[in-house]
Amino acid sequence: MKQSTKELSRFYFSLPRIIAKIRGSDPRRAETNAIEAWAAGLLFYLISYVFFVAQFVPRGLRHWQTALLLVALGFFVWLFWLLLLYINSLIIKLLHSCGLFRTLPSRRAQSILLGIATTAMAGALLLRGSWMRGVGLFWLLAVGANLASALVLACGRNAGGDSK
Amino acid sequence: MRRVRVQRSSRNWLRRFAVRGVFWRECLDWAIINLPFYFYPVLVTFWTFFFFFFAAPARRAIVANLAVILPGSSRAINHLRAFRTLFNFAWTISEAAIYKLNREEFAYQISGAPWLDQLAAAPGAIVLTAHMGNYDLGAALFARKFNREIRMVRAPEPDRQTAEHLSSSLEQTGEGAVKVDYNTAGALLSFDLLNAIRRGEIVSIQGDRAEGDVGQIDGRLFGTKVRLPNGPFVLALAAGVPIYPLFIARSGYRSYEIIVREPIAVVRSGQARENDLAEAVAKWCTVLEELLANRWDQWFAFTPLLLSDETKH
Repeated sequence: MKQSTKELSRFYFSLPRIIAKIRGSDPRRAETNAIEAWAAGLLFYLISYVFFVAQFVPRGLRHWQTALLLVALGFFVWLFWLLLLYINSLIIKLLHSCGLFRTLPSRRAQSILLGIATTAMAGALLLRGSWMRGVGLFWLLAVGANLASALVLACGRNAGGDSK
Repeated sequence: MRRVRVQRSSRNWLRRFAVRGVFWRECLDWAIINLPFYFYPVLVTFWTFFFFFFAAPARRAIVANLAVILPGSSRAINHLRAFRTLFNFAWTISEAAIYKLNREEFAYQISGAPWLDQLAAAPGAIVLTAHMGNYDLGAALFARKFNREIRMVRAPEPDRQTAEHLSSSLEQTGEGAVKVDYNTAGALLSFDLLNAIRRGEIVSIQGDRAEGDVGQIDGRLFGTKVRLPNGPFVLALAAGVPIYPLFIARSGYRSYEIIVREPIAVVRSGQARENDLAEAVAKWCTVLEELLANRWDQWFAFTPLLLSDETKH
């Protein structure tokens, strides 16, 4: 444990890390940033929530019925995530037992699988009209920018021989 | 006979899923090992909703305690405050598990640093704390920072498997420097703790809740009579060591405040022993009252301790 909060201002995702690097801060990966944890968690949740709203909330319902369905859906999405996380853990276990990605920690593997699932949902939202398309597009842009930042960071590491 | 045995074993198995069962602790450990960190906030929020509804006795106890801590407060608002308390509790146990399993970084600041240094250098002392904030993490931090061994005395858990899980978690978090004992009625533990203090060890006891058959003493919190464990005060008197009030409050995401208050000396005045103890208990109640008034959202004593005198009658 540290007696300072410096550690807590570092980032996990490549996009904020590259911004931190440009601004002269520490670009090393850390899992200690509160804003990042809340923002990423809520974004994952929002995409899946909007996806299920698009699937299960029909138009033309009464206001109170829609409101009730939206609240119930909030808990349904949570249960969906619990189930998906468990299924993902079984997939990871299977891959590890087949000798694949053994060096990849479970948490990172989950992160990749969850990213794929959420991107698929965002892709499906793109096919919808109105504001849902905007939500899907926002996710895809964020993922694209993050992957591009990861590439830049990796290239910078290789070019500079930086081990961070 | 066989039928009774089957019924008993299925009841034991079902107990794992009770609110204080070990199943939820194991789920938490699984989540900390297997899930990316940015999933914790949303999951913690939803689990808080889940336990807010299903852990009804704990919720009611928080609301009852809040009614005394915050006189004149509305019952409806106190339910929202109870949610906040459970939310803090969820974060606290999650962060203790994060430290135990992933060895992640935490930030902390100290309030009352001179007393903490005094405690670290003390040849045997008693730390008196409450079911507040992250005392598990705090003990591990203290043991690591000052390279001292700590004996933690906890109220017994209602579920045996949960108690085993908690003990092993604490010992794992403290990397062998934290030993856990359970506060039961037996006199053997008292002698054991007295010897530990005389050997120069630090004994940490939770002094805000007296449960079961342990020795009790009257105190007053927020103008209300409460029953507190008398063990720490008797031990301090017998060993001739001071009591250090110490609390670990959560101050933000992976950030804590270590609060140490002026040591309480329990001295033989030549009067009756009860008077010496009562004086120390009154000082402890003053410290506890101040802390609870400011940090009511981190008091995790999930039993109604602060029933008003009228309600008790």
